[in-house]
Amino acid sequence: MKLTQRPGVVFQPRVHAAMQRGIHSMVNAIRPTLGPVGGVVAIEPIHNKAQKPPEVIDNGGIIARRIIELADRDEDMGAMLLRAMIRRQQEDVGDGTATVAVLFQAIYDAGLRYLTAGENAMRLREHLENALPLILAELDRMTFRVEGQAALTRIAQSLCYDPEMAELLGEIFDTVGEYGQVDIRKGYGRGLKREYVEGVYYPTGLFSREMVDKQEIFRAEYQNPAIFICDFEVDEPRDLFPVLKVAADANIPALVLILRNMTDRAMSVILANKRIDKFKAMAIKLPGLNAEDRLAALEDLSVLTGATPLLTATGETLEQVTLQHFGQARRVWAEQRTFGIIGGRGNPRRVREHFANLEKRFRLTQDPEQRQRIQQRLGRLMGGSATLWIGGATDSEIEVRKAIAERAAAAVRTAVRDGVIPGGGLALLNCCAALEERWQAASESAERAAYRILCEALATPMRVIFANAGFNPSEIMARLAFENSSMGFDVVQKRVVNVVEAGILDSAAVQKAAVRNAVSTAALALTIDTFVHLRKPEIARD
Amino acid sequence: MIQGFKQTQDTVYSLARCQDVCFVARFSGIYRSDDGGRTWSLAYKAPDTDGPLATTTLAATGHDIFAGVKGGILRSSNCGADWFAAVLPPPAPLISALAISPNFEQDGVLIAGTAEDGIFVSTDRGVQWQPWNFGLLDLAVYAAAFSPHFGNDQTILIGTQTGIFRSKNGGRAWRSVSFPMDAAPVLSLCPSPDFGRDHRWFAGTEANGLYVSEDNGDRWERIAADHISGAVNAIIIPPAASQELWVLLDDRLIISRDSGQHWMTSSIFSPESQALAVLPGNGQQHPTLVGFADGTILPLT
Repeated sequence: MKLTQRPGVVFQPRVHAAMQRGIHSMVNAIRPTLGPVGGVVAIEPIHNKAQKPPEVIDNGGIIARRIIELADRDEDMGAMLLRAMIRRQQEDVGDGTATVAVLFQAIYDAGLRYLTAGENAMRLREHLENALPLILAELDRMTFRVEGQAALTRIAQSLCYDPEMAELLGEIFDTVGEYGQVDIRKGYGRGLKREYVEGVYYPTGLFSREMVDKQEIFRAEYQNPAIFICDFEVDEPRDLFPVLKVAADANIPALVLILRNMTDRAMSVILANKRIDKFKAMAIKLPGLNAEDRLAALEDLSVLTGATPLLTATGETLEQVTLQHFGQARRVWAEQRTFGIIGGRGNPRRVREHFANLEKRFRLTQDPEQRQRIQQRLGRLMGGSATLWIGGATDSEIEVRKAIAERAAAAVRTAVRDGVIPGGGLALLNCCAALEERWQAASESAERAAYRILCEALATPMRVIFANAGFNPSEIMARLAFENSSMGFDVVQKRVVNVVEAGILDSAAVQKAAVRNAVSTAALALTIDTFVHLRKPEIARD
Repeated sequence: MIQGFKQTQDTVYSLARCQDVCFVARFSGIYRSDDGGRTWSLAYKAPDTDGPLATTTLAATGHDIFAGVKGGILRSSNCGADWFAAVLPPPAPLISALAISPNFEQDGVLIAGTAEDGIFVSTDRGVQWQPWNFGLLDLAVYAAAFSPHFGNDQTILIGTQTGIFRSKNGGRAWRSVSFPMDAAPVLSLCPSPDFGRDHRWFAGTEANGLYVSEDNGDRWERIAADHISGAVNAIIIPPAASQELWVLLDDRLIISRDSGQHWMTSSIFSPESQALAVLPGNGQQHPTLVGFADGTILPLT
C-alpha cells in the first residue's frame, strides 16, 4: 500500500488539543523512569521481532530517541517538539531527561488552562521567561561543591542505583577530577573493574609493527627519548635524513618522530637500522582526524615535551630542522593504535599556563562539541586517564550497564565541575518560596499566572518520584509541609530525611539545564497557534 | 670512620634522627653517628657498586628511617642496622623529598617527591611504590609535607618548581593551589605547630622568602619579609619544643614561638657557607646539628 500525506493548515482549538495529546504520549512514556525507584519501558524491536526480545529502557533520552513518529500528524508536532528539547538536554548535560519532560508537561498543561480562561499567550510567555532567571538564581544559591570519594560515590549512587558502579565512579572522579579522561568500555568478566593509565595518552599509534621493541606486549617503549613533531606527510626516505642527521650529530640514542603520515618507503630508513644499541627510532601518527584536532594535538604535544613543531602552514621543511626543534620526555610508549608520553620535559610554567588558558576557553565556550574537545585536551594534560571496564552475564546486560555508566559518569562530571543541589526534586520545590513572593507583589494577571504555573510545575518532579515509588504524592507532600526546607522524603528508605545529609544530591548543571529547557520550550509551545503540514513524499507500507 | 664535623665539598642534603642515631645524606652516601654527630661512619654500602651512592634526602619516624637515592628508596626498620632497597621504575628517578604520614604506625603511608618524575606513594611502609601524578602539571618536586590531621583529611602538600600542589585523597590526585608562580620554586613546607586551631601552612621559597596560608593551603601570602628573604631551605617543628617553628635560611636559623606572628634570629652562620639542613637537638648529648653545602656539619649550642 502506498500512502501520500496531504498538505494542510490546522488552526485552534485543534492545535492546542493535538499538541497536548502528543506531549502526553511522549511524557507518559518517559515519566515512569524518574527517580530511584522508577520503572522501565519496553520497546518493540523494529526487525526480527520473532527472535529479539523487547528493548528494556530506563532512560528518558533513549525512550524519546526511539519514538520517531506518532501516527497522528498533529499530535506528532507536539511530540517532536518535546523530543527535540529532550535531545538538547541529553546533549548539553547528559542527564535530567525525565525531569525536563515532566516539567515541560506541567508548564504546558497549566499554561493551556490559563489560555483557555482567556489569558494572552504572548504575555504569558514573556512572564514565564522573565521568571526563569529567578529560578536559576535560587538554584545557584542552593548549589555547593562536592569533594571526596564518599560524596562523589553518593552522587553516582543517586544516578545509577548500582552500589558497585557508584563506588568505582566515586573513586575515579575523585582521582581524575572534573576534566580527567574516563573511558567506559565493555569488559569480559561479570563484574566491574577500573584501571588507571599514567601519563598523556592518544588514540593513534606506530606506523609499523616492525618498530615494536617489546614483542611480548606489542609495544615500543623508549626512556628519555628526543621527540620530533611535525604535521608533514613524509614520502621519501631522504626527506627524513636531516632529522636523523641532527639526532646522530647530537648523539641522541632514542628518537620519537610524530608525523601526519609516512609512506612505507620512508619508513624503511627507520626499519633498516640494525644498530639499536646505538640509535633507535619509532614513528607515530600525529593524533587528530581533522586539521583542527591535529593543530590542537601539535600544540599540546609541543607544550608537554618542549618540542617546537614544524608546520606545513608556515612553509617550513624538514631541511630546516635543528636540535632546538626536539623535545624530550622521560618515557614514550606506543602500540599499534595508541601511544603515551610520561614525564614530558616541557617547561612546567608553560604547561600550567597552557592548562589555565584551555580551562578559561572551556568556561567561555558554549558549543557542546568544542567543550568536549577542550575537556579531552585538559584531561590529557592532567597526566593520566581512567578506564572503567563493564562486565555482565549477557551482552545485553553489559550494553545496558555500559549505557548507565556513561550517563552516570557524564552527570558526576558535571556535578564535580558545577556543584550539586539537594536532590529528589527538593531544590526545585524550594524555588517556589521566591516565586510566591513575586506572585504576591505582581499586579498583572498574566504575570501572576506565570508564577503560579511555575510554582506548580516545580513541585511536579518530586510528586512524580513519589508516585513512581508507589506512594501517594499528596499525602507525602502534606507531611513535608510541616518539615523545614532541608527535609525531603527518601523513597528508598521510606522515611523523611535531611536530603543533603542522606546524600540525596542532584547535579546543579543538570537541574538548571532542565529548568531552562522546559520553561523556554513550554513558553514557546504555548504560543503555537497554527500547524502547517507539507506534502510528504510517497511512502511504502506493507 | 670520619672524625669531626668537616667533610669538604661533600654536600649535606639532609639530616635525620632515628631514636639516638643521627643520619646524614650526602653526595657520597648515608652516614650515621651514634655520638650526637661527633663521629660519622658509612651507614649503607650498595652491594653492586664501588662508587658513592649519592643520597639526597632522609626521613625518620620511630625506628624507621628512609633514604632517597638515585633510582630508589632505602628503608630500615631498625634505625639503620639493616637496609632494604625499593627500586623505582626506570628511567631512574632522583628522589628530592620524602615525607612520612603522621599515622605511619597505622597506615604505613609515605610519599617521595622526585626531580623529574613527580610523586611516588607507598602504602606498605616503603616496600612498594606507585607513581601517582594525576593533575600534577609540574613534575619537579622539591618538598612534601603531610597534614597533621592526615588520618581525617587525607591532605598532602608538595612544593614544586612552579608552586604548590595539594592532594586531598592521600596522594591519588593533585590540584594546584593559588600560590604565586613568580615566587616559586618552593623548597620547604611545614604545617603550623598549632595546626589544629589555625590550619596554617608555611612554605619556603628559593628566592622569595616565607609564605603562609591561613586556609589549609588554598591561598598564600608572603610574611616576615623584613626578617626572611632569599632561600628558605628548611622549615621544621622541633620535637622537643613543639610550639616553635624553625626556619633555616642560607646564613641563619630563625625561630617563631607564636605560629609565625613574630620571628627572632637564633643563630647566624658564615655568609660563605650555605646551610641546607637542620636537625633539632635532643638533650646535652645530642646537640642541634646544621648541615652545609660545603659538607660541614656544625653543632649549635
